[in-house]
Amino acid sequence: MGAYHAMLVHFPLALWTTAALVIVIRAFSDGPFARAADKVLAPLLLLGGILGLLAYVVGLFVWPFAALSASPLGRNHMLLGTWTLAYWWLLWITRAHLGEMVWEGFNCWIMLGLAGLGAGLLTVTGTLGGHLVSSPTAVSQILRLLGWEVYTTFYLPNFMLVLLVLAAIVLAVMGYRAR
Amino acid sequence: MNRTILGTAVALFVAMLLLSWVFHGTGVVRNDVERNIYIPEMLTMPLQVKAAYNGEQIFFRYRWPTERPSIYHDVMVYRGGKWERIGASVAGPQPQGIYEDRVTMLVDDGRVPEFEKYGGYLPVGDRMRFFTEEAKKEEVQAHPYLGQKKQQTEVSKHLPQTRSNIADWTSVVPEEQLAAQRQAGYFLDLWHWRAHRSNPIDRSDDQVIAEARYGDAGEGPFFDNWDPENQQPKFQFDPSKVGIVALRWEDLEQRRLGFDDLYYLREDQAAAFDPNHGWKEGDTLPRRVLHPGEGSRADIAVHGKARWQDGYWDVTLVRALDTGHPQDDKAFMDNGFYTVAFAVHRNAFGSRWHYVSFPYRLGLNREADFQAVRFEGEAPAWGQDWYTVTLFYPGQVSWPSLNSERHAGAANVRQGVPLKFRHSEIQLAHYGIEAEFADAIRRQWLYTLVGGLLLIAGFGVAINSLMKKRS
Repeated sequence: MGAYHAMLVHFPLALWTTAALVIVIRAFSDGPFARAADKVLAPLLLLGGILGLLAYVVGLFVWPFAALSASPLGRNHMLLGTWTLAYWWLLWITRAHLGEMVWEGFNCWIMLGLAGLGAGLLTVTGTLGGHLVSSPTAVSQILRLLGWEVYTTFYLPNFMLVLLVLAAIVLAVMGYRAR
Repeated sequence: MNRTILGTAVALFVAMLLLSWVFHGTGVVRNDVERNIYIPEMLTMPLQVKAAYNGEQIFFRYRWPTERPSIYHDVMVYRGGKWERIGASVAGPQPQGIYEDRVTMLVDDGRVPEFEKYGGYLPVGDRMRFFTEEAKKEEVQAHPYLGQKKQQTEVSKHLPQTRSNIADWTSVVPEEQLAAQRQAGYFLDLWHWRAHRSNPIDRSDDQVIAEARYGDAGEGPFFDNWDPENQQPKFQFDPSKVGIVALRWEDLEQRRLGFDDLYYLREDQAAAFDPNHGWKEGDTLPRRVLHPGEGSRADIAVHGKARWQDGYWDVTLVRALDTGHPQDDKAFMDNGFYTVAFAVHRNAFGSRWHYVSFPYRLGLNREADFQAVRFEGEAPAWGQDWYTVTLFYPGQVSWPSLNSERHAGAANVRQGVPLKFRHSEIQLAHYGIEAEFADAIRRQWLYTLVGGLLLIAGFGVAINSLMKKRS
């Protein structure tokens, strides 16, 4: 299944990268081209999400889960792949749910930040996938310089896990109260 | 107000990401000597090698850095009327620094074919000594062949095909098959230089790895200086020859004894232990007695003097190209092609706390990873450049684990894809450490994955409500 996963990941990579570019253009421009590009943003994100999900599922069958979850690179690729997929689905939901509102005022900067973070997650996930097929890039050197050795599993200590859960609850409550 | 709440939500999300980045990878990996876990500070180190041969002998020269040499080994110290052992092999560094430096080299001539691809991982079997799940001494002693016949007390390095099941150290194949394997050259030759137990008499140990790690036939460069029945040493220094009966513990503890001092006990300088001597608190006797050895086990000698200087050990070993011991040694031939792998112990680390290398191809005057240069005369001129290899801490990775379903590359191993093709030294060092905490890291990783998803979901709820409300 490795070859099929490698083939399939090209689609979400291309679609989400294009989506990120559209967000950047739209964030900085209100012109006709930016508006026209924005019209395809939600379909791009949705298609990217669907094909990303397909690539993700196929990726789960490249190795048995016992092997994937025992390999530091495998674990990292799966972790980042899961977050990337969830994150870009969130972007689609946001754009589809809020429509043109996402470009108004401060929202526009949030979208820009989200796109940047999404592109970053995508890059790291792709880099880790490259490592798994013995084609590493210099991105892993940058990650090392920033404090993460990609040959070690990215995991959090218990207190950070508690903080994450608390933060998730606080964020959800903030959203709920805003309704 | 809305903008402030939205900004707070974004800030909280970003703060969680930053904190996650700062604290990732903490809380699990730690030294735990109860479980035989100790992580060295440095995960890799360099080793320089040169090789040369004439018509009769082959020379290997090794050079590696270490802050200070460890030339003492285990000793018996007289304390409170008893002889107490200091310097036994422990998990991690020996606390008093009483553990010798070592360099070892595994050699094969192609008759252990997997060795060229997987090097030192090949002889690391199931429940090896000093692994967290090591086999108990009683289990090994009870084994009809390894324990009762071969007097083994721990599971040492062994080759996979000496077992009917590589994941079961007890499944030794029948003796006739072991004999046939040895006859067919299915063993690894192990050159084993020790800074205390062989170097003071300019010797190296010569060992072999087959169904276990053995000394070659004959006598090695040292034997134990302990009488278990009487709980006392067997030998002391002969004062008529060396002027002392014993060393002083404080001299060893403060590392006052150097290469030119007497810090070892040689058989020809030893006398039978006298229990009635007026032993004083702190009198110390080496627990090993050195002698030249004989037979196949004494085939390897130190050429010149092996010494530590300016931060580096410089050790040259020499052996006959063909020792005439084909069941113990791999014979070298002009224009021959071999596989070697190296390991170094330093900083008072023993047993499995060594740095190991990938396997390298050695050609005798033949193209390979590095070449043994042919020369005429008694001693090589060493005009060629050093060949530098990177050694790494291997952790607890065994041949059974590499072939198990928990290794994503198990299929590659079965297909014979070489280790070097998929892995680097630093990668394997990190993998080796993670293997020591496999279950804990896997659990924490799964929690992290879920925690991250929850954060993304919570953030999604927040921004979708707050951005809408704001608009």
